[in-house]
Amino acid sequence: MLRASAVAEKIGIPTVSIIGSAFMKQAAVVCRGLGIPFALAEYPGAPMVDSDAELRAKVETNLLPAIIEGLTAVSGPAMGEALTEPEIGSVVFKGTLDEVQEHFHQNLWSDGLPVIPPTREWVDAFLKFTDRDPRDVIRALPQEGREASILSIAVNGVMAGCRPEYMPLLVAIVEAISDPNFRIEAAGSTPAWEPLVVVSGPIVEELDFNYGQGVLKVGRQANSSIGRFARLYMRNICGYRIPPGTGDKGSIGYTFNVALAEDEEWSRNIGWPTFSEDAGFGPGDNVVTVQSVVTSSPPTYSAGDTAIRHVQQFADVFVRAFSYGSHSGVKRGYWHPLVVIGPSIAKVIAREWTKDDVRRFLWKTMTIPASLMRHFCAQTAAQDMDFAKLVGEGTLPAHYAPSDDPDRPVPIIVKPEHIGILIAGDPGRNQSRGYMSNNAQGARTSRRVALPREWEKLRAQQRGPALAQR
Amino acid sequence: MRSGIHGPRYEVLWPLAKKAVRAQSAAPRLPDLSGKTVGELWDYIFRGEVVYPMIRERLRARFPGIKFIEYHEFGNFHGARSREIVAGLADKMRTRGCDAIISGIGA
Repeated sequence: MLRASAVAEKIGIPTVSIIGSAFMKQAAVVCRGLGIPFALAEYPGAPMVDSDAELRAKVETNLLPAIIEGLTAVSGPAMGEALTEPEIGSVVFKGTLDEVQEHFHQNLWSDGLPVIPPTREWVDAFLKFTDRDPRDVIRALPQEGREASILSIAVNGVMAGCRPEYMPLLVAIVEAISDPNFRIEAAGSTPAWEPLVVVSGPIVEELDFNYGQGVLKVGRQANSSIGRFARLYMRNICGYRIPPGTGDKGSIGYTFNVALAEDEEWSRNIGWPTFSEDAGFGPGDNVVTVQSVVTSSPPTYSAGDTAIRHVQQFADVFVRAFSYGSHSGVKRGYWHPLVVIGPSIAKVIAREWTKDDVRRFLWKTMTIPASLMRHFCAQTAAQDMDFAKLVGEGTLPAHYAPSDDPDRPVPIIVKPEHIGILIAGDPGRNQSRGYMSNNAQGARTSRRVALPREWEKLRAQQRGPALAQR
Repeated sequence: MRSGIHGPRYEVLWPLAKKAVRAQSAAPRLPDLSGKTVGELWDYIFRGEVVYPMIRERLRARFPGIKFIEYHEFGNFHGARSREIVAGLADKMRTRGCDAIISGIGA
């Protein structure tokens, strides 16, 4: 919201921004990140649970005086003194392992778990795995406005427990989340979505990712540490910190996601394009995709030797899991579910259906009454969903408002092509799972992984990855 | 890393990065809201449909000649067309003669 206010301030028009009291600390972070001392009018408490009388009293007593003061005060709002920060790449602390952990915890630089101390030697080992200059900056990232530099990627990669040879993937992850399409500026929103990193290509085998049984459980170094890195980077460079930090307003939340690797060989064997091929990449490309995940379906078991038996089960389970949150994406015309299909199930489906057939079936079948979607929307932020208006402005296709019938079915997914499909998991069990994005925030964004010129040589110099028990 | 009497000692690098923020002053405030044009920006959440009309009513009572460009004229800067709407805000504010902006609701 303050980004909209910034437009006015930059052209010389004074603003005052209405902020709920619970968001004031995050607002201060955004003010510093934008470099503008905004005038704020604080609404005490949460407007969504106030009675009409309470709401009116707070507008009268709290907002109006602050609005008038904010627009007319002679001195205008002023920014606090900027803190002096260390030089880039400088040593900020010397101590034992325990002391390093304590220092990082005290400064809110860790995620609450122990970190690997980012010594210069260890950081340099990571930097060998990229041909880019450590000073290269991908973009200054909201909400603190810090530069996403190659050096910062290496430092946080070390801290997260990554191996040096993961560096090309880490760079690609930061490139993906830096893409404006990803909307990282919304990563501190209250639903508390987490980034999910999907890894595709030969690098999955080369770096020993788990793409089989237990694929999304903590336990394999590549999956776990790279998933941790994505969250840690958003904490340290973007400034998304839960209390005692201030930038992350996630209300409840859940833990970070480990990286998800694709079982490409299974895809090829059953004749389906891989997840990265669906995104337009070539068969041999190494690709990282990042998207938001705000919730998942239950583990979804399906049985039978025909496609419809499985895909119908997906629809039955996913529509129940995703109905509530779908309004948030539908009113924006976009959200992007990800369906992780167990290999043995995919094999059955692929005998009859293409991936696009699966997408079309899910899109067509997963509907709820329009009145229910409107109800869910109103509960979230007191906003009614006006389907006719959304159709009229081109956000939604015409079939969302063919009539005024409140119980007409409306799709919970706006378009079939918004559904991502990927094969991973236990080939010996009949389980799949669906993952829900947080509307258009954290939109699915892919980047090709750029390997260093001497990738093979450098990798050979590293000790081999622990042999996995397959 | 150096070894010491209490075990190895580590010299660790700063894990954050340079801020690329160019600080700027807030726009000059107005001496009085009387006769001024106030634009409303709303993200269409948190009961703004109640809050904004009430603000309008109270400010009109206090500042003679104050005018409002209501939020629907700017559109939802938090919705499906947020990029396009934010990109067009400056022009809309200028062409509608906004002297001040009230923006809400959230963070």
